[in-house]
Amino acid sequence: MASLIRAHDPADMERYSHRYYRRRYVWQWPIRIFHWVNALSVATLFSSGLYIASPVMAPAGEAFGNNVMGTVRMVHFSAAFIFLVSFLWRIYWFYMGNNYARSGFPMIWKGQWWSDLGRQASDYLRLGRGHIHLGHNALGGLAYTLFVIGLGWAQIFTGLALYSESNPGGRVDRLFGWILPLLGGSMSARMFHHLFAWGFVVFAILHVYIVFYDGLQYRNGLVGSMVSGEKFYKEGDLDHESWLS
Amino acid sequence: MGDFDRPTTYGLLKAHGVDRRTFVRFCSMTAAALGLPASLVPKVVEAMETKPRIPVIWLHGLECTCCSESFIRSSHPIAQDVVLNLVSLDYDDTLQAAAGAQCEAIRKKIMKEYAGKYILAVEGNAPTKDGGVYCTVGGDTFLNILKETAEGAMAVVAWGSCASNGCVQAAHPNPTGAKPVHEIIKNKPIINVPGCPPIAEVMTGVLTYVLTFDRLPDLDRLGRPKMFYAQRIHDKCYRRSFFDAGQFVEKWDDEGARKGWCLYKMGCRGPMTYNSCPTIKWNNGVSFPIGSGHGCIGCSEANFWDNGPFYQRLANVPLPGVESTPDRIGKTAAVLAGVGVAAHFGSHLVRNAVDKKPPEGPGASRDSE
Repeated sequence: MASLIRAHDPADMERYSHRYYRRRYVWQWPIRIFHWVNALSVATLFSSGLYIASPVMAPAGEAFGNNVMGTVRMVHFSAAFIFLVSFLWRIYWFYMGNNYARSGFPMIWKGQWWSDLGRQASDYLRLGRGHIHLGHNALGGLAYTLFVIGLGWAQIFTGLALYSESNPGGRVDRLFGWILPLLGGSMSARMFHHLFAWGFVVFAILHVYIVFYDGLQYRNGLVGSMVSGEKFYKEGDLDHESWLS
Repeated sequence: MGDFDRPTTYGLLKAHGVDRRTFVRFCSMTAAALGLPASLVPKVVEAMETKPRIPVIWLHGLECTCCSESFIRSSHPIAQDVVLNLVSLDYDDTLQAAAGAQCEAIRKKIMKEYAGKYILAVEGNAPTKDGGVYCTVGGDTFLNILKETAEGAMAVVAWGSCASNGCVQAAHPNPTGAKPVHEIIKNKPIINVPGCPPIAEVMTGVLTYVLTFDRLPDLDRLGRPKMFYAQRIHDKCYRRSFFDAGQFVEKWDDEGARKGWCLYKMGCRGPMTYNSCPTIKWNNGVSFPIGSGHGCIGCSEANFWDNGPFYQRLANVPLPGVESTPDRIGKTAAVLAGVGVAAHFGSHLVRNAVDKKPPEGPGASRDSE
């Protein structure tokens, strides 16, 4: 094992710079917090939502001694507001963060973004190894925008609209109640809210797999980067920086 | 409202031998039904004593007459006797004795004599396809009659789900192009009183409010009077405690059903339906669907016919050709994602094995680039 570890000879590093991994601080702490808050709140929201949609295991005894649905709804709503704050925080950090905090935005007006999208998709499908992207690659950015940001806001808006029903004429109702008739009524709003929730499950499956695959295939420390914030790259890997900013 | 020569409600009641005590009691009950404080009872009394009754033209389009059936059963104190006198119901082709040309002449007369002063009550809606030929009354399409009569109306009351949101004839695929009143009449204040049918006391209550205060009641964003449609069935349901406790009926004859647990899992539309059923109830306050052990079907909500089976909690996904629940679609998508992931990783393993590279990690192919 010891033979695998090379000494950091500066001259050698200069001559064979493409062989040496460097590391860069990519994901700032607000991004990492956003990620983990989302992971936890989405898991909570989905599981509590499944119970709310189809409650099981009726408690024994009289109704006054139990508050199972009440508690689960409380958990669901609390997690939902945490999720909402996390999303608002992410908007703020989109503008305040480093370039990588903006790298996931689908830059459909840039040709380079489209070519990166195609190249990344074909790299994954051909099991190849392209360039490391220090921020998001175009495909990843698009997936996050559709699945996390898009579905997330759809859930937030439909969720707030449904939440408003418990206090007609209240503040939430005045702000978000109009969404219900737009979706065809409270009944279809529930259906959409429930359908969208499954999008997060599909996303979670793809996301966890691709993160581990990408991290192993590209050796870029992708998995750990959401804890430490640091990613690894070699010389020549930073090509998407040019269309990033 | 104009001071045209018509008897007041009180005048009419007196002529029918109703004493003043009964009359005041009726006014108090009416005020209570409208959610008015006791201090406003004199105003109700005054209105009934002094204001001439509002002429009402009651049209029937594509409908089943269940609204009329409900209306005439209003079991409000003495309302059975007075409900047709409270307003001056001048034209109602289902109830009036006149028929044919005579009947239409009355409508024309009211429209002319009380232009801008009468209320147009619409039961049912108008088919709009093919020039509205799918519903004709007295030789003209109902679409034309509706537009024509609405022209001089002070306000339009859309009775029932047909008139306020389309109901069964506007359900998918809506072959006659039936449209609720508010999609046809745009320039008049419209009160939507949904329900299939609406509760009798709600119907009389809405008219009483207009008569008493000379204005339309507060309406919500769907044009429904807030005093009757502000809250969900769910929030006033006497079974709500079982909902919060997590105790649900699973089958129609199970232990929970006998104990009167929540009907949420049986497809009850209470959490999505805005109506007064749990408070006012039906048939003189005897019961309402949930009270009788059956879930609400949401008859006062738009598209309630299209929202999936009545005994299924979530609506089916309205994709053409897909008759499926959100759960089934979601699970299928998740399984497909899993299969895709497994196929990708499998081919990755196979290729590594074929390449016969020493197993030093998937990144090995990097140096070959």
